[in-house]
Amino acid sequence: MPLDVIMPALGMAQDTGHIVAWHKSPGEAVAEGDVLFEVETDKATMEVEAQGAGYLTDVAAEAGSDVPVGQVIARISDTAEGSGDAGEAAPAPPSAPESESDDLPEGHGVIMPTLGMAQDTGLLVGWLKELGDAVGEDDILFEVETDKSTAEVPAGASGYLAAQLAQPGEEVPVGQVIAILTAEAPDKTVSRSAGEAPKAAAPAPAEKAEAAPKPAQTRSEEPATRAPQPAPAQAGRILASPKARRLALEQGLDLSRLAEAGYPQPYHAKDIETLKSLPDPQAQAAASGAALQLTATAQGAEQAAFLHWAEAEGSAPLAQDALWAAFACAALREATGAEGPLAVEVSAARGASHAVIDADLAPISALESVEPEGAPSLRLRDLTASRITGLRLGAPDCPALTVMAEGETLTITLDFTAAQLSEAAAISLLTGFAARLEDPLRQLL
Amino acid sequence: MAKPKTNTEDYLRMYRQMVRIRTFEDNANQLYLSAKMPGLTHMYSGEEAVAVGICEALTPDDKITSTHRGHGHCVAKGAAFKEMFCELLGKEEGYCRGKGGSMHIADQSNGNLGANAIVGGSMGIATGSAFTAKLLGKQDVTVCFFGDGATAQGLWYEVMNMAALWKLPVIYACENNGYSEYTRTDEIAAGSITARAEAFGIEAHQVDGQDVLAVNELTQKLVERCRKGEGPFFMELMTYRYHGHHVGDINREYYRSKDEEQDWKQNRDPIIRFRAWLVEQGIASEDEIEAMNAEIKTDAADAVAYAEAAPYPDVSEVDMHVFTDIKHATA
Amino acid sequence: MREITLSQAVNEALAEEMRRDETVFIMGEDVAEAGTPFKVLSGLVEEFGTSRVVDTPIAEPGFVGIAVGAAMTGTRPVVDLMFGDFLYLVMDQLCNQAAKQHYMSGGKLKVPMVLRTNLGATRRSAAQHSQSLHALVAHIPGVKVAMPSSAYEAKGLMKTAIRDDNPVVIFEDKLMYNDKAPVPEEEYLIPFGKAEVLREGSDITLIGTSSMVQVCQKAAETLAGEGISAEVIDPRTLVPLDEATLLASARKTSRVIVVDEGHQSYGITGEIAGRINEKAFYHLDAPVLRMGAMDVPVPFSPALEDITVPSPEAVVEKARKLVAGELIHAA
Repeated sequence: MPLDVIMPALGMAQDTGHIVAWHKSPGEAVAEGDVLFEVETDKATMEVEAQGAGYLTDVAAEAGSDVPVGQVIARISDTAEGSGDAGEAAPAPPSAPESESDDLPEGHGVIMPTLGMAQDTGLLVGWLKELGDAVGEDDILFEVETDKSTAEVPAGASGYLAAQLAQPGEEVPVGQVIAILTAEAPDKTVSRSAGEAPKAAAPAPAEKAEAAPKPAQTRSEEPATRAPQPAPAQAGRILASPKARRLALEQGLDLSRLAEAGYPQPYHAKDIETLKSLPDPQAQAAASGAALQLTATAQGAEQAAFLHWAEAEGSAPLAQDALWAAFACAALREATGAEGPLAVEVSAARGASHAVIDADLAPISALESVEPEGAPSLRLRDLTASRITGLRLGAPDCPALTVMAEGETLTITLDFTAAQLSEAAAISLLTGFAARLEDPLRQLL
Repeated sequence: MAKPKTNTEDYLRMYRQMVRIRTFEDNANQLYLSAKMPGLTHMYSGEEAVAVGICEALTPDDKITSTHRGHGHCVAKGAAFKEMFCELLGKEEGYCRGKGGSMHIADQSNGNLGANAIVGGSMGIATGSAFTAKLLGKQDVTVCFFGDGATAQGLWYEVMNMAALWKLPVIYACENNGYSEYTRTDEIAAGSITARAEAFGIEAHQVDGQDVLAVNELTQKLVERCRKGEGPFFMELMTYRYHGHHVGDINREYYRSKDEEQDWKQNRDPIIRFRAWLVEQGIASEDEIEAMNAEIKTDAADAVAYAEAAPYPDVSEVDMHVFTDIKHATA
Repeated sequence: MREITLSQAVNEALAEEMRRDETVFIMGEDVAEAGTPFKVLSGLVEEFGTSRVVDTPIAEPGFVGIAVGAAMTGTRPVVDLMFGDFLYLVMDQLCNQAAKQHYMSGGKLKVPMVLRTNLGATRRSAAQHSQSLHALVAHIPGVKVAMPSSAYEAKGLMKTAIRDDNPVVIFEDKLMYNDKAPVPEEEYLIPFGKAEVLREGSDITLIGTSSMVQVCQKAAETLAGEGISAEVIDPRTLVPLDEATLLASARKTSRVIVVDEGHQSYGITGEIAGRINEKAFYHLDAPVLRMGAMDVPVPFSPALEDITVPSPEAVVEKARKLVAGELIHAA
């Protein structure tokens, strides 16, 4: 079995070795311990010995080339012919630098610039010009990223982009030529990797553009030259403990209201109680705010028939206002998800108003009226006995349902403010109430 | 050459152990050169007769403390290639589950109390191990390996003082390979090294560290006397390291010449010398020796291949073994 | 319950453990007939003899190194380091050797060693005999750190330390050696990693270590007179640290001061404050305050020395401000 001859790791922090000279020729017999080749690193030169006997074959790196540590550069084989497959085992060796320049067009060399204070390489993010493009001196030629920033690099000279000597995504040593601009439109263009041997003419420009990695585009939206955003001004910042902030957040309270009310900062957990006792400006603002109204219609025949039927069957007469209070209360509870007691204040065109508590939770015949006390959860006006067919009374102190009649058709309006009901809850309330009026039996059963 | 022993098996085992060390190091060096080994390593090649001559005089209950240049001690104290190469490559099956690496490699079950990467750092440990033997009335002896460079550490004088006061069964074995890292020993060591031990009333010997029989014979005598309570002792073993301070120390002509290296390799190599003696004494034929060498080479190649394919420790092991009783120290 | 001094408590713990386990021994400077300068060990040599109460030369790295090796080979040494300030001398043996053996060997070697030393200023002993260096040790993974604050804790923690299979450093407050506290006659151990809530409170938590536990207790007493309810917690061990108890208290009272006699910068107070900040932030109603020793070498003059260490008065003043909701260090 042939032995691989490997570029050895020599120094403490070394990635490549420079082959100074081969001491054996391909096909030459080699004994274990013979010096095979000489390697130079940044610090030292060393003779590398053969690890076994045989014939030197498959030499894949010439004198003068730099080879990554660990790469197979030759074999010691049992025969002078070798396997011939070393080229497959090892990546193609780089050619000597002198030979590279021969293949390149003549023109202005654009180098990888130094951008940072302690920067050895730049990452080529992407090319902003394609091979063969005409380029102006100030045109952005490519984009570079260092550890700190991304920068667009102008061409620095006019001409045609004839060679791209690095590919997007590659780290290129600072000072290395990565593009060549020619005075005339080039006959052939060159595209290759920064560390790679020269290749034939570049693929079509369209393909090149596609080959550019995606990050290049996203990065280009944030050029490094942009100044960092200043930190937001501190003036409006409220000084409060983490606990006070958490409690305020949990309870939906705004600490800035303490500041507006003149309480000294910083705020602590105990100040949350003070904050809670402050009048709710949002509620006030909403109460004096715009009155909102929804209107719906329902057919009243069914509920009239239901009332007659109930009167005929039941032991006690069923009052229409009690039935409606129950419907309104159920619709409100459904719309708002309220769990606590709900008071519905019922009034008619004539006569005193009265309130019913949780009209939806008890048998309708058993509902008791109480004297209205404070603002109810909902006001219900029965104007079916009046000639009124529409009304607009302004912002109510609580949501108000008004039922009006025109023949068998009932018109129902809901007056409310944004602070009292959300749009969705208002629609649900009105819809639910109208549906119950139209089909009382279904609702009750 | 020292006086021949009579036990053929002992001689052949000593030869085998020396070749195993050399072969291990050749493979370790290749792993480093081909960038397959993480970190770097300090080669024991050239000093084989020291580790083998001493460890062959010890029982598995006897203790040693090893150094950053410790592969030789590890092999000589009975370690297996497979677990050693696994450790060298940071694999889970290594002797230290990949947590120690080249500089802390040790087969603890054979009395190796660990390889220490602080020069002279194990002198206290070795002396303490001897203290245990004395306190608990055990028979075991501890050998403290260290290099000539470590003789400059103050710790040695502190523990030698106590070892001598308390007559502890410890043998301080100074492997004098002529170089303290990148500096000639005579530039860092004033006066005589043996005299330093003698100043504490410790019996000191200088011996040819390239002569495995001489080393073994002296060690056997000193170990026996230690067991009788006549310790401690000091041995200065004159030897040579073939490689640089570590594998990356390649350009070393500023501190030692290639001619000097060639002279030691060609004329004073412990393996070549012992092999010639074995043949001359009729203990083994050239063919038998070649067969043994080949077998060891194959063993090593198999162990390297095994270690290369072996799994790394699971990342969850990173905070294990910080404490004995807390499974994950950072959890 | 009977009351004994902290010295007597330590002495009892050692005697009990040495009777229970013959592998336990004491080693250090003037530990035998002298019984240490603080007389903590008086009488032990009479019972256990000089083979188990071992006087050493003045060679701290040497005898700590010997203790490490002895611990690795089957004994349980209790090393006496006469002053905490001498920790600097033994850092390699403690931090490179003892702390890392278990980890470097992948869990195979262990070092069941106790290092007894002390801390505490205001003995007019100046800069090299007054330091509180427990943070240095607590910083190193692989070493446990116990900080008794009373005779009761000193005994219970010492017995636990001796039975622990890991290196443990115990810091005794050298000003408390003659302080008496109730200590039961019957045997008890105090587990590591369990903080003790010495006083319950609702307005503020005072976390104190070792010598600073008394300072916190006195401060809490004063605060109670002002209607401020302070909780006092003694972590008892820094490694492992009972984070859960500290965090629970921080969440409960929402205000914390950490008091420790080590230098404030890069110290224990910052570490504990940092953990509370990370894990109880949204429960904090005030910044967690650190109160450590001033960042100066300990001065000799009483006029200067006394102001370098946190006092009950200083703790009270800070606590008042926190509870009152005063702006602390806001720019």
